[in-house]
Amino acid sequence: MIAALAGLLLRAVVVLFGTALLTFALLWNSPGDPAQAIAMARFDALLTDDVIDQVRVEAGLDRTFWVAFLDWLGPLLRLDFGHSSVTGRPVWPDLSNAMGYTFPLALAALVIGIGVSLPLAYLATRRPGGWLDRASVAVATLGTAIPAYWLGLLLILIFAVHLAWLPAMGARTPAHGILPAVTLGLGVAASLTRIIRSGILEARARPFLPALRRRGVGSAAIGRDHVAPHAAVPVLTVLGLELAFLLEGLVLVEAIFGRPGLGSFLVTAIMARDFPHVQAVVVLTALIFVTVNLVIDVAYRILDPRIGGRDA
Amino acid sequence: MRSVVMLAVVMVTVAGIGPLFAPYDPTAINIPNRLSPPSSEFPLGTDALGRDILSRILHGARWSLGLAFVVSLISLVIGTAIGLLAALGGGLTDWVTMRTTDSFLAFPELVAAIVIAGLTGGGTWSLIFALAVTGWMRYARVARGIGLSLKTRGYVIQAQLAGMSGLAIARWHYLPSLLPSLTVVWTGMFARAILGISALGFLGFGVQPPNPEWGSMLLDARVHIRSTPLQMIWPGLAVVISVLAINLAGDALRDALAEERDGP
Repeated sequence: MIAALAGLLLRAVVVLFGTALLTFALLWNSPGDPAQAIAMARFDALLTDDVIDQVRVEAGLDRTFWVAFLDWLGPLLRLDFGHSSVTGRPVWPDLSNAMGYTFPLALAALVIGIGVSLPLAYLATRRPGGWLDRASVAVATLGTAIPAYWLGLLLILIFAVHLAWLPAMGARTPAHGILPAVTLGLGVAASLTRIIRSGILEARARPFLPALRRRGVGSAAIGRDHVAPHAAVPVLTVLGLELAFLLEGLVLVEAIFGRPGLGSFLVTAIMARDFPHVQAVVVLTALIFVTVNLVIDVAYRILDPRIGGRDA
Repeated sequence: MRSVVMLAVVMVTVAGIGPLFAPYDPTAINIPNRLSPPSSEFPLGTDALGRDILSRILHGARWSLGLAFVVSLISLVIGTAIGLLAALGGGLTDWVTMRTTDSFLAFPELVAAIVIAGLTGGGTWSLIFALAVTGWMRYARVARGIGLSLKTRGYVIQAQLAGMSGLAIARWHYLPSLLPSLTVVWTGMFARAILGISALGFLGFGVQPPNPEWGSMLLDARVHIRSTPLQMIWPGLAVVISVLAINLAGDALRDALAEERDGP
């Protein structure tokens, strides 16, 4: 177990380093003059070449690739994300401010997603092939085909424009978070419902269940001690994918609802060529992603001791 | 298999001949008729520049479906090549390629595509590049898995001993085993590519105006959600119907393959 954990950790570190290097190389080699874009974003005017050169030196764009990469990586290991090349302010306060908008939204969406899909999948599998089962599969299939940005617009149309129950744009009050959270949450619920449903059905088909029943084990105890852990394994597998879906959805949902979270932070930074900001979001996303997948890998081994590794 | 081939044919047909049925030029600006509701003249109404929405949806199929088709095929080729390289190379080659694959997977694909498309300047080519570069990993994993299991099969080893060329072995022994599973992955990635292209279009990093693309049409329509809400219904509906059709075909194919393998 210790050796396996060390292996997983080493792999996570290699993957993180690879992501950081790839991101940096991509930014470094992106077409167009970043110094000019930064100067434009900062001064909002056409500038002479020597001003742009000053910006280039100040933003550290005159260094060679490896020098610049190591200059960025060193402080990053101490969680120092550097300074914005547009505003000159430290990255971290602005980044954590954006996270303050994004994390509660992600959490709410996850709660809605699990809160809808778990009972729905459970009810659907009580009578496999029944109308409720078929209806929930149909709705979930449809749900996975609806893109977050369209669902968000539909919800704005119904609840903000027609009924005028909820605010649509901005993030001033908690009420502003309801529509974004529902938009994301329903997307999560759609894909989770299908996975949990087939997980439960597969677990129920296991040959040891009739044996347990014949030994007189109650159906509640079978559900809790035998069906649930078996159904949890495939669910765990997709939770990593679900997180990717959530992060992708966040960028779009924040754009639709005008929320100043990580997604908007990223889109703004890309437009302005603010490399330190883009790098910070990318590294943070990779860190979250790798950490969650590490936790999932460990949970996997605990739930199913036979598994040596997911892709073994 | 047949359902997916049929689907591909139908999609390509829609993207190919759909524009022929468009009543108007999709980029023809007609300011006096701007934001008009559906009528016999403009079946789905017009947008903020007076362009016919039906014509834009039909022409948009060429962009949204056509680009998704191209992107998913490019990543299929890249991914399969990388996966087979890992499986057949073994050892260090395998380790390096698979850790590279992990690095690419260690990041939400669409977010990566947004960063890449945004930084490479926007537009159609950077869109194709961004989505292909972030879409090959699943093919690689599947191809590697199948490649590893085939490498030690008797008939493959015998073919090698009999002096069959590497290319012939790939064609006659690897391809038939790879094709079904890769086709299933492909349907999923085709659907994802449609969603990705329209998402990037919606954020402004995708197909650039005035070209009609469903995602960028949604971006245009969003501003007019109060005055002409119907304008944002049509492009979204087009995306949902396409993705749904592809997903259902993929599900049917997967079930058919599972039945073939395990018996009915």
